[in-house]
Amino acid sequence: MDRRHFLRWIGKGILGTSGFWLCARGVAWGKSAFEYALEGQNLIAAKRLAEARDVLKEAVRLDPKSDWAHGLLGRAYYGLGQRAEAVAAFREAVRINSADTYSRMMIEIITQKPIPKPKKPRRSLTPLEKKARAEEEAMLSQLTPEGGLAYRVKRVVIDPGHGGFDSGAVGPTGLKEKDVTLDLAQSVRRKISEEGSIKCFLTRTGDYYIPLSDRTVIANQYQADLFVSIHINANENRKAHGCETYYCSEKASSKEAARVAAFENAVLKYDEPFKKRPGYIDIEEILFNFERRLYWEESGKFARTFQNRFEQALPFKSRGVHSANFFVLRRAKMPSILLETGFISNHDEEAALKKASIRDEIVAAVIRGLLNGRG
Amino acid sequence: MDVDDLIFQGADYHYKGELDKAIAKFQAAVRIEPQNEYAHNQLGILYAKKERFDAAFREFQKVAQIDGHNTYALLWLGILYLKQGNLNQGFEKFQRIIEIDPSNADAYYFLGAIYNFRHNTTKAIKYLKKARDADSDESDTHYRLAQAFHNLDMTTNALLEYQRTLALKPSHTKAINGIGWLYYNRGERDAAIAEWKKTLKMNPRDRDAIFNLAKAYNDLAWEAMKRNKPKEAISYWKKTLGVDPKNKAAVHYLKKYGA
Repeated sequence: MDRRHFLRWIGKGILGTSGFWLCARGVAWGKSAFEYALEGQNLIAAKRLAEARDVLKEAVRLDPKSDWAHGLLGRAYYGLGQRAEAVAAFREAVRINSADTYSRMMIEIITQKPIPKPKKPRRSLTPLEKKARAEEEAMLSQLTPEGGLAYRVKRVVIDPGHGGFDSGAVGPTGLKEKDVTLDLAQSVRRKISEEGSIKCFLTRTGDYYIPLSDRTVIANQYQADLFVSIHINANENRKAHGCETYYCSEKASSKEAARVAAFENAVLKYDEPFKKRPGYIDIEEILFNFERRLYWEESGKFARTFQNRFEQALPFKSRGVHSANFFVLRRAKMPSILLETGFISNHDEEAALKKASIRDEIVAAVIRGLLNGRG
Repeated sequence: MDVDDLIFQGADYHYKGELDKAIAKFQAAVRIEPQNEYAHNQLGILYAKKERFDAAFREFQKVAQIDGHNTYALLWLGILYLKQGNLNQGFEKFQRIIEIDPSNADAYYFLGAIYNFRHNTTKAIKYLKKARDADSDESDTHYRLAQAFHNLDMTTNALLEYQRTLALKPSHTKAINGIGWLYYNRGERDAAIAEWKKTLKMNPRDRDAIFNLAKAYNDLAWEAMKRNKPKEAISYWKKTLGVDPKNKAAVHYLKKYGA
């Protein structure tokens, strides 16, 4: 709305409220807030805006609860080009009377474009704020600012699949998935810690069972940037062999991926979609969905990176990258992938997985995948 | 009818939630005055509320063409780009706003959030601090800043920002859950559990709090077992089932150790 329109509004405002003048609050001894406001309104109509502002300031001083006076003061400020003050006055009017459409509309009109912000008075720091400032000065001085929008990996949670009473798949000669995954995960942590640029945490460090929900909770606990779940595949068909990588997506990339996900997702689904409120735009929901989408995209990239490393380094056939809706991956608040490093149900691959040299190659491929994806 | 009357009536209908009537008024207003930025912006918001996001996008684009300094329209274009999953275009819009208005808290917020999503924490902190300093009354700004500090193990700052979040919005359960992890990771388990219980009092179906508590009780149970205190362990596994009745670990170990 331009100034020409604004002044026309003012004219309407005066006419629109004229009836109110006659039946308004009683006039006290001396000049009341109401009288000041009325005078301010007339001054606005006469385009004597600076005088109107001063008179209306007096009106709101005498009656801080008058939305009418605050609204008029907003108009005076706006007419004088004092847009920040105008917004503050209109906001006060709306705070007092939420049904004040005009003031609400004026706030929206003015704040469409930048307004100078009023300076805030300084106050002394609380003990926690002082401690926080010291921590910030100490920490941030050590960090190198990083530009760009590439995804950064500085903390990774490695999840050795299964454990405890849940041995996972068992090979023809008795090799247990839970033992292989734990050994691989511990080696990855040891070696990545030696490398030094990525912090590594494990979901389990011994032979005990952790439910699926706890595994992603641990990833969230450590604010991980990447969650890698290590598994060994199995199939009733003993001939099935090779390694593959999964990541989370809404739809499974194949029937087989859907089957694997269904097998892994033997848990209650707690996920509740955001409740839609009609006529309301939920910015945080938009950000939540955007974040999840980014993580899924990023998971796909990590999955391809890891699978490429496997293809290059392992004596196993590459079965490619697949996506499915895995519970263990879906609840992670970061990109997450699930590695199936060979088929324990296959005689040859079970034998290979027993060898320290093959395990070293798997660990080396995982580490190269991590370092490659660190951003 | 006069364009100002149409706009006022449209705004009034909008505030009252009568979206279709508001749209009709603003549509009439822009037919009379096609350059009216406010009317186009209102149409954009109204279309977005009706989930007509393409139409909303077109309205905000019109405003940006009329005046490239209309930061409100630019902000919504950025948000709608994020809704489409278009990171770079969204990012570009928010950066443009900062060039026009270096004190725009909303644009800093979205830039900080984007850097948080990329786990570029130092940048996220930089922008979220600017958002906080420009407008300290937004609970989500404090929450996302707390997350960024938390990610860098700056636990005092994380706690301070979580607390600021809760001062503005006491029902911000994600902040309560975050405080729980700060306590948990420094060994104050009882304090952590108390925080997650607070969340469950507010929302008994909060999945994060349920799973956090279940994990904490399972950890405590295992520690009790290691100390050779099976009775204590059993009491913790029972607590696990109290919050997460199908927790497979607790179900199994309670059976095994004879509850």
